[in-house]
Amino acid sequence: MTGDESAGDNDYTLEGFAVPDELDSVHQLLAQVAAEHPELDPMDVMLFETAVIEIANNVVEYGRPEGAVRWKFTIRVRAEQIEAELDDTGQTFVPETGKTMPGEEAEGGRGLPLAEALLDQIEFSRLGETNHWRLVRRLGQIPQS
Amino acid sequence: MSFEEVDQGGYVVLAPEGKFNLVAAPPVKARIDDLVAQGKANIVVDLHAIDFIDSSGLGALIGGLKAARQQGGDLRIAAAGPQVKAVLKLTNLDRILAPYETVEEARHDW
Repeated sequence: MTGDESAGDNDYTLEGFAVPDELDSVHQLLAQVAAEHPELDPMDVMLFETAVIEIANNVVEYGRPEGAVRWKFTIRVRAEQIEAELDDTGQTFVPETGKTMPGEEAEGGRGLPLAEALLDQIEFSRLGETNHWRLVRRLGQIPQS
Repeated sequence: MSFEEVDQGGYVVLAPEGKFNLVAAPPVKARIDDLVAQGKANIVVDLHAIDFIDSSGLGALIGGLKAARQQGGDLRIAAAGPQVKAVLKLTNLDRILAPYETVEEARHDW
């Protein structure tokens, strides 16, 4: 499955099943975005990609019925931000946003807090039979370490 | 996920490649558990060929670190790239999993 730009000049989309093997397609979509937008700071794309993958992981891990959930990603590059919309056909749920990062010894529970740390906006809504995520990272805000 | 493994006697170097994600994390963790069970609890995970890690990969490293320490060993990471370092920092794991620049530095006292 490959991304295409049919939805608009700056839109990249991907549709498929929310299964582990499809995560590579999400990475490929972001790689295509980076390749076609050399003006983007690679670190911005990398951190945005990390957040998108964390949300995708959640759909793969918790979406039911397992293996039958379909998803659609739309990535948009704007002058000041990069955005992703993710729609999936999994069961309804309420994401536990706003939780603090787990302690050092925890082996799980970092996905959503990490995505939140990497994004400027993270919105979730249930639209009919579809879960809808909107993820936004403003560009050029990379802290110097 | 394929990964190279070199047993140096006093320690073992594991070098996974590609994306250290939901798919790759379970086999890497299983291999670390096997090594620890064999008494090889000093492990360096060489991340030079990893271009992306997610929270599943971090979980595997933390799980491996805990398993190694329970057996009197340790798990250290080396040659992490910029994405891995950024994620370690954001998750506050850069203290417990301090990134060494090279495998040699990571295994300095073994």
